[in-house]
Amino acid sequence: MIALGTTAGSAPSPFTAEQQQRFDAGLEEAIAKYPPERRKAALLAALHLAQDELGWLPEAAMAYVGTRLSVPAVRVREVATFYTMYRLKPVGRHHLGVCNSISCWAMGAEKIIEHCAEKLGIRPGETTRDGKFSLEEVACLASCGTAPAVLVNNFRFVENVTPQSLDKLIEDLK
Amino acid sequence: MKILTADWEKPESWKLATYGKYKALAKALKMQPQEIVDEVVKSNLRGRGGAGFPTGMKWNFVRKETSFPKYLVVNADEGEPGTFKDREILLRSPHMFVEGLIIGCFAVDCHLTYVYCRGEFRETAMKRLQDAVDEAADAGYIGKNILRSKFDIEVHVVYGAGAYICGEETALLESLEGRKGYPRLKPPFPANAGGGLFKQPTAVNNVETLANLPYIVTMGGDAFSNVGLVPKNGGTRLYAVSGHVKKPGVYEAPMGISFRKLLDDYCGGMREGSTLKAIIPGGSSSAVMTAEEADWASDFDTLKAKKTMAGSGGVVYLDQSVNMAHALANVMRFYAHESCGQCTPCREGTAWLSRLLDKIVEGKGEKQDVDNVHQIARQMEMKTICALADGAAMPAKSYIEKFRADFDALVRG
Repeated sequence: MIALGTTAGSAPSPFTAEQQQRFDAGLEEAIAKYPPERRKAALLAALHLAQDELGWLPEAAMAYVGTRLSVPAVRVREVATFYTMYRLKPVGRHHLGVCNSISCWAMGAEKIIEHCAEKLGIRPGETTRDGKFSLEEVACLASCGTAPAVLVNNFRFVENVTPQSLDKLIEDLK
Repeated sequence: MKILTADWEKPESWKLATYGKYKALAKALKMQPQEIVDEVVKSNLRGRGGAGFPTGMKWNFVRKETSFPKYLVVNADEGEPGTFKDREILLRSPHMFVEGLIIGCFAVDCHLTYVYCRGEFRETAMKRLQDAVDEAADAGYIGKNILRSKFDIEVHVVYGAGAYICGEETALLESLEGRKGYPRLKPPFPANAGGGLFKQPTAVNNVETLANLPYIVTMGGDAFSNVGLVPKNGGTRLYAVSGHVKKPGVYEAPMGISFRKLLDDYCGGMREGSTLKAIIPGGSSSAVMTAEEADWASDFDTLKAKKTMAGSGGVVYLDQSVNMAHALANVMRFYAHESCGQCTPCREGTAWLSRLLDKIVEGKGEKQDVDNVHQIARQMEMKTICALADGAAMPAKSYIEKFRADFDALVRG
């Protein structure tokens, strides 16, 4: 457990050498977008970069990101817990986010969630025992014209989902 | 009339080669910035993100400020349930938007601009946008002394991490500065010193709003204004239509088209076996309409007078299979989840409404619960820093007022 203080600490890196290289390159690019005295603004990007490498955000990663940007760890945590794309615990290798906002709901999203849960044997918020899949109900994905929509691993949109197409998606991901 | 969708059906419509030279930008750079803003004022272009604020007026606020630097920040954090049109612009015509963005920056004297995309777009719409920005930079439209005008412009694309509230402009600025998305107390407004990005005067504009700029500069403000069907509502609008219609999708129609015409002429009517029951006119935060109200015009002023709003242009047509209490319970779960928690009436109100509505749709409610939902919603209005609470109250009140029978059918007493 790393203490989350109110001043920027000097936490060690949680990355392997290869991960470190990608993280450093990405962070440099993110910081360069802002005026030099505003480098802290790159915090959201830095957390994304850390999660890209680790699959989620362990406290060690949050503390390290804070160190790199001179942001107190408590501030990093405040941001990491505010936004839904950041994972505060490990999720499945394939994370399925099923949209259940009004347009997807009207087009049968609840059936899709139910189907997913049955097929994978987990409820929304859970991960399969083999660690392959996790399921979540998510807010509007801006895919309402191609509802219902599913988001795989935060960034991949799968649209016009039916129970059949979902079965195929899960098979393909396996 | 096609302004924004003119290229959408062309192969590789997102490439600069398809879009062609930034001729409107070349013209704009030879004008005085104030002349451009004057044309935008004449055009009656109004913010397409949801509020419908006159773009020219907003830009004049920024121009009047004497504090430098000034910023233009683009809200590409599309997330209002029912809305999916900015995504299509970024995927299909990113250059029209980028050209409009640079014109906008020139008009408000901004040399560093940020496009804030919703995080989920990173590998899709945002990638298209970044490619377009790179192409534009290679072509000399972005950088130092563009087109030998002595105007410098730097464009950066950044992304969020999943929070509806960051579509609220001051929450977006907080997020852009690397913090959680808590909306700021206004005044000062973003356009004014002290209220914008890094406390500097800032114009925050929606993607679709800026994509209209090349047309306005090329054809003039009057021509754009005349495209709209209703005074003070210029241009076309991208209506993002979803729900139980034959052909859901994004349709460009003159601003102010009636909901009936939009449904019949563009979307092929309701799908087989469906009868229209309700219309959500501008994203889930707008007050709902009945089928009998489908002849209403869809412009900002008409809908405001009818106590709803044109909002984000996300139109949802619902059929007879929907019980509106169930629909409202769904909508309220969204607001309860997305309330940032800063203001008590919103944090507690949305959660309370959501609990009551879940109880009602589970068949455990009483008549008094329905009355309470209405009462609580009224108590939430105009009491918070941002409009999220109002956006939750508007559907809560209107669904009950217009579809009370759907609620009564589920409760005792």
